[in-house]
Formats: sequence, structure tokens, C-alpha cells
Amino acid sequence: ASLDNARHLSSLLRAVHFQDHATCVATASGLRVTVEDAKCIQANAFIQAEIFQEFSVQEESVMFRISLSVLLDCLTIFGTSSLPGTSTALRMCYRGYGYPLMLFLEEGGVVTVCKINTQEPDELLDFDFCSTKVVNKIILQSEGLREAFAELDMTSEVLQITMSPDKPYFRLSTFGNAGSAHLDYPRDSDLMEAFHCTQTQTNRYKISLLKPSTKALALSCKVSIRTDAQGFLSLQYMIRNEDGQICFVEYYCCPDENMSEAEL
Amino acid sequence: ILQCFLSLAVFGRAIHAIARISDEFWFDPIEKGLALRSVNSSRSAYACVFFSSMFFQHYCWTAVSQPCQKEKQLSLPCKLIIKSVLPVFRCVNVLERNVERCSISTNPSGHHITFQLLCRHGVVKTYNLTFQDCDPLQAVFAKHMCPNILKVHSRLLADVMIHFPTSQEEITLSVTPMKVCFKSYTEEDTDFSRTMLTEIQLSPEEFDYFQVGVDSEVTFCLKELRGLLAFSEAASVPVSIHFDRCGRPIAFSIEDLLLEASFILATLCEAEKEAATPEPACCPRPWDSSRTCMDKSDQTSMDRARIADTATSKKPQQKGNTPSMVSAKPSNALAKQEVKNIPRGSERDVPGRAGAAMAKFHSLFFGAVSYKEKEAIGDTFQSLVTASDTEEEFGALQSSQVL
Repeated sequence: ASLDNARHLSSLLRAVHFQDHATCVATASGLRVTVEDAKCIQANAFIQAEIFQEFSVQEESVMFRISLSVLLDCLTIFGTSSLPGTSTALRMCYRGYGYPLMLFLEEGGVVTVCKINTQEPDELLDFDFCSTKVVNKIILQSEGLREAFAELDMTSEVLQITMSPDKPYFRLSTFGNAGSAHLDYPRDSDLMEAFHCTQTQTNRYKISLLKPSTKALALSCKVSIRTDAQGFLSLQYMIRNEDGQICFVEYYCCPDENMSEAEL
Repeated sequence: ILQCFLSLAVFGRAIHAIARISDEFWFDPIEKGLALRSVNSSRSAYACVFFSSMFFQHYCWTAVSQPCQKEKQLSLPCKLIIKSVLPVFRCVNVLERNVERCSISTNPSGHHITFQLLCRHGVVKTYNLTFQDCDPLQAVFAKHMCPNILKVHSRLLADVMIHFPTSQEEITLSVTPMKVCFKSYTEEDTDFSRTMLTEIQLSPEEFDYFQVGVDSEVTFCLKELRGLLAFSEAASVPVSIHFDRCGRPIAFSIEDLLLEASFILATLCEAEKEAATPEPACCPRPWDSSRTCMDKSDQTSMDRARIADTATSKKPQQKGNTPSMVSAKPSNALAKQEVKNIPRGSERDVPGRAGAAMAKFHSLFFGAVSYKEKEAIGDTFQSLVTASDTEEEFGALQSSQVL
């Protein structure tokens, strides 16, 4: 695979970089990088084949586990600041099972070659989250949520999300040391792009697991928030890169086990 | 029970200003308005911002009478941890753009204060913050008794202060009827080859009001003041400075129709000066170990203070007092009763004067506020004085004057 601007890849990967290791799956349609934690949360970054200048996969699919931290360090080896006009070109090669991932990075005539060892891929969680089982779905413009997520009261253990066809429609709540905080988004807000809630649901998620999604939120222009009957949460972030192409990052999270009545 | 709506920008700035003093503040609504107060841990700086009810778009306060506790104040003083409130008012500039309205309401049974912000796009942010009940806080300082009063536009004061590096902790203000001088405070052991000293002199004409009754040189902590400076610049009102000789507190205050703010800072008293003006015990000693506007772990200055103490051996009595903060004195027994959470308030070793003066603590800070309870209580202590942890600040200024 080769890419004109490595930042297209590195910024997306950073949005899911909350654990050291990631599983990469390459298929004909593109590259998917998955990071998981605590068996409760999974983040996926999708980079379609169309984003790349060149993308070919010999077998049907190729899967390996790799250190995401190292990968990111290599991708940004020429620095992370984005000067206009300069970009790092990337070429990635993977021979197959057991071979390291080769990266060739070039900027301004300087070439760097990186070889990153790959590992056996872990089994990935399957949240079994399909569109048909979705109970509540909201699409919001990200700018409305960015401030909220950045200011989340981290002394609270959980983030409680309430979605309902009636008031309060969409509410984010935290219960921290100083007291509780609630953010209400009305259904007729101009931030709301779509609002499809069939049932009132209140679910709590461990805030430490969801906090990393703030990175993806910061990059994105829109976010879709969906929950299913079991309270599993799906956050899908639509990210527009520098060239205007669209990529997606997804976060899936299971609800916190110790659920009690929502505090209002 | 309080319910009010307000415009956020000024309120948010006030909270930021108070945050420079301490992590917690007193939230004290009364019929006439809302007072926010704070005092730092060493009781050497006190801030109070009072918003009259006119400041609010809607202000409704009703007393919750508690028949079983007659002596309890009718108002509902309570203490909030400021850190919890700061995020609410985090970025004032953003707030001005985003927040259309803010309402504050209290719910005594729930022990919550609710800040609700109506923001752009219809978003509603609700913060239910817990508070702790506590004793009321108020410093006693008779501004009008100060011989020196300067009034200057906040812009000018900010321009003066900007010349001092942000690391400069204390500055000295010295006045004579001919000139006013702000300079960086240096200790005896300062290495002059390494430090930058700044001195700014102003002539009396630059002040809106200039009264110097007694030549004096007072040193106070700049860091704590910066909060008020930022706030007053935003409000664009003149700042009044009331002070006396060194050792007595200095008050910076602003007021306009809708609000009043005062920052009262303790001042340092030089040992040398003390030797020069032998006063009976009332001229304060250098800081004792509790001052915090210096680096808390600044042992060297404390030691210096103690050494100075030994050197002059002026007040052997005080030397004994410094280590033990709680020394009950008969003249202060009454103070101790009321001043529950400030045991050190009793450490006024001003033998001759304290007795009589203390017994008449009554003066209020700023004119517009007059608590109803004051009359009810009569001439017992209205509420505690806290702004001084060391005798020096309030020495003889306690008077029964009611402003």
C-alpha cells in the first residue's frame, strides 16, 4: 500500500490509540485497525482502499497484531507538526504471516525504513451490533459534543447516557466528587442531524473507557450514537481528512454492570 | 432558598478572581444580594465579591426560618469547593459566546446548589454541586479609618503591575505625599546580581483620588491580587486602595452600582522598621510561619523572621506565641466563641488595645451590605474575622464603626 500523506493514516490511528497494541486486518476494501481494552471496549479505525494511492492485498485477508505505539512513532518519524506543503509519503509492505511490517517513509528527499515485528492476532470481540437491533440512534454534529467530552468530570466513575423520545431526549450525566452534572441536548437543537429514539434508555458506561473517544471526537465532523436493547453503545465518528476524504472510526462499549437507578 | 438568573461573564470572572485566593469559597446569599467570599489557608488574604440583587436579571431569596435554632443566621452561608465550580465557568470568553443564560438555585434539603446554563443550540448544562454548611466568614476592616487612600483606574494599575514578572511574589508600595512608588520586594539576603528589581514611580496627579495621611511602605503579595486586577480591568472600574502603615492590612476594592469587590491582604512589617518606631506591642511582627503568599516551604524566610525576632528581641511575648497558634486570651474569649473555625484569630497579643477593640467587632466590610442579623445579635460578634492569622494586620483597626 502506498499513501501520499502519511498523516491521513497517523491521525486516524491516533484516534484509537488508547492501548499499546492493535490488530490490523487488511482486505481488498481497505485497512481496519482495532484496539480493545478490558473486554469492554473496542475501537476500530477504517481506512478504505480508496484513500490509498495504491492498495493491493494478495490473499483474501491479512491479519496481524502489532504495537500501535511503535507504528505511530514510525509514521510520525519526521515530526508531527503539519507544515503546509510538506507531507510524508508512505509505502507499507507486508510479506505475510511471520514477516515484519515494512514502512518506507519519505519527506523532502530523506527516506526512512522501518521494520516492525508482527505478532499473532488476538481474537477480537464481536459486539454483534447490527443496524437492525438498534433501539435508539442519534446523529449529532461533533462540535456540540467536543466541549462536553473535554470537560467531563473525571472524578465520576461512569458516564450515564440517557436517550429518549421524550424529555430529556439526550442527556449525558456524570456523578463526581463535587456533585452531578447533566448535559441535555434537545431533539430540535440545530446540532441534531438525526434523532430516532424509540424507547427511553439510560445506560452507564465506565468513563475511563470512553474518555479516549474524545480524540476521535476532536477529529470528526459528525458522530452517530446508537444503543441496542442490551445497552451496548456504538459511537461512529465521521472524519474528514486533509484531502476531504471520509473515514470512519467506531467505538463500541458495553454498559457498566453495576447499574442502578439513574440519579437525576 | 435562592433562585436567580444572571449574565455570566462578570460572574465567571469574579469566580476566577476568587480562585486565586483559595480552593474553596463561601457562597452566601442574602436578601440584598449574593456574596462570594474566600480566604486563603494562612488567613493572610481575603476576598469578597458582593453582587447586589440588581446585578441579577432575577433574584429571589427567601429565608428559611429555623425556629429551633434561634441564634442561627437567617442567611444560608455555605461553602463550596471552588474547583468544582471553575469548570462551570471555565472559559469566560467562550461562555460569553455560548451561554445565553445562567441560573443559580439552591435546594436546602438536597444540599445542592444548582447552576444551570442555557447554551447555544439549545443545550442545557446542569451542575448540581454539593456544599458544606459552615460558619459565616467575614473580615473586619475599617476602610475609612485608613489614613492613606488612593483611587486609580484599573487600567493604570494593571499597566503598573504588568511590569513585574509573574514570578514576583511580593511588591512594596511606598507613599509620601509627593509620590507613589511600587517596587519589587527584596529580602535582605537577595542576591542583587541575579535578580531583577522593578520600581515604578507615579505622581499624585495620576490618581483619581490621592490622600496620604502617613508616609508608609507596605509590602503585600501580588499573586493574590492579580485576580482582582483582572476582574476590575474587565469591569473597567477604578480601584480604591486603602492602607496604613506597614503591618496593617491593605484593601483593594472596586465598586459600582451592581457589585462590590474587596481584596484584603495582609502586609509585611519589616523588623527594621519596627525598631525604628517603638510602638507598644501593636506593631506587628514579621510573618509567622503561616503566611502562604510566599512559598509555603520557604523555610528561609521564616527562619529569617525568627532570627529577626531574636535579634531585636522586641517582643519576647510574641516569640512565645508564634509556635502555638491557639492561645486563648481572656480578652479574646468572646472572639473564640464565635470564631469557631479560626482559632488563630484569638492570637492577638495586643494586650492593651485588643481587649477593648475586640469586644466591638462589628464593622462590616462594605457599605451596601448590612445584615439584618447584625442588629439582632446586638453587640456580640457579628461574624468571625478571619483575614488575619497574625496580629499584625488588624492590630488597632478594629473598631466598632459600622460602615
